[in-house]
Amino acid sequence: MSVVTCQNVSKQFGSNSVLKDLNVTIQENSITGLIGRNGAGKTTLLQMLAGMLAPTSGNIRVFEENPIDNLKVSANTIFVDDDLVFSPEMKLYEILSSAEMFYDNWDSEFANRLIRYFGFQTGVFHDNLSKGKASTFNAILGLAARTPLTIFDEPTTGMDYSVRQDFYRALLKDYMNHPRTIIISSHLLNELESILEDIMIIKDGTCIVHEPMEDFKTYAIALSGDYEKIEKVVNESRIIHRRFISSNHAYVVVKELSGSEQDCLKQLGVTQTSVEPAELSMYLTNETKGGIDDVFKQS
Amino acid sequence: MVLNHDSIKPIYVQIAEWLETEILNDHISTGEKMYSQYQLADMFNINPATAAKGLNILVDYDVLYKKRGLGMFVKDEAKENILIRRKNENLKQMVRELVQEADYLSVEDEELMEMLKQIRQERRGQS
Repeated sequence: MSVVTCQNVSKQFGSNSVLKDLNVTIQENSITGLIGRNGAGKTTLLQMLAGMLAPTSGNIRVFEENPIDNLKVSANTIFVDDDLVFSPEMKLYEILSSAEMFYDNWDSEFANRLIRYFGFQTGVFHDNLSKGKASTFNAILGLAARTPLTIFDEPTTGMDYSVRQDFYRALLKDYMNHPRTIIISSHLLNELESILEDIMIIKDGTCIVHEPMEDFKTYAIALSGDYEKIEKVVNESRIIHRRFISSNHAYVVVKELSGSEQDCLKQLGVTQTSVEPAELSMYLTNETKGGIDDVFKQS
Repeated sequence: MVLNHDSIKPIYVQIAEWLETEILNDHISTGEKMYSQYQLADMFNINPATAAKGLNILVDYDVLYKKRGLGMFVKDEAKENILIRRKNENLKQMVRELVQEADYLSVEDEELMEMLKQIRQERRGQS
């Protein structure tokens, strides 16, 4: 069953078109990583799924309903980002108890264990938490709410390395005990990739990749060697990234390389290596095939 | 085992290979229940769908079989099947690559055979 469906969804802010004719579906009980550059439209998409924004055109269905002003969607969805706003008069324990009242599946035992593990004093105001601590607290809300649709928008902002690792592991373990649909956007794909089932990449307001993470790992291969030889086997349209190390030696990332092409390149002395998903997603979302080096080129 | 996330080998293949090694080393015996996808996901900190993919490869390879509602179990002829397949697929592929490199370096048959024999002897001497 699909929990989220977007059909031809576009969103404009004034003259700025953020999402363009986006079509995606997300299946029930999966962890999807939403990847994209700053300004690609990730947050806009996630806010629309949570019913916080309406699309300019197109159709969004969450649990088969329109998420805007929809009590069913709000009760079954939590949206967590790094600047959740709470009433300045509320202390952490009051936020926790109001979450308990609102979310049917809220697990206060689990929330308390996490609160203790991460060393929170519940008598303080949310406003007084450091950036990393506030993100951690928000992430705990997102986990303990156990809503059928759980959305994390850049949840790890400000968290230190070990807290991020703990959070991802807690997310995976709790997901296995209580399967639900989780969408998580992040810049740090390499820390997140192993727990993802699917990856969705957004570039300039459209979805350019949406597939199982394991397939994405074999989406492209990196070639390193004499560029003239590489050019003979691989045509321009399949090149995702190209960087010259010397005048003729190039590092080229290509997609859809067949087995016979791989053998052929091997015989030509071209080295083949895998491309890490984080690296590949960077190349896919670059505006040019040469990346930052193109800026420094004298033409 | 620690997974190599940078390897060209997909994670689920690494999981399948690790499970095969566990069977070959008698850490998991024939007829015994295999780890579930959730146990593997927890052990290696990976998505359970990835772990399931690793288990399903071993069903395709006739190493595991499914018992409805009970999970996956190790087949009686699991070890044999692992060895046969590794010989026919992995080893043959490695030999193919070896021969390709030998051709590239214009190494004659006798010289190549001699190298193989020598390395085998060295290994036997060590053990």
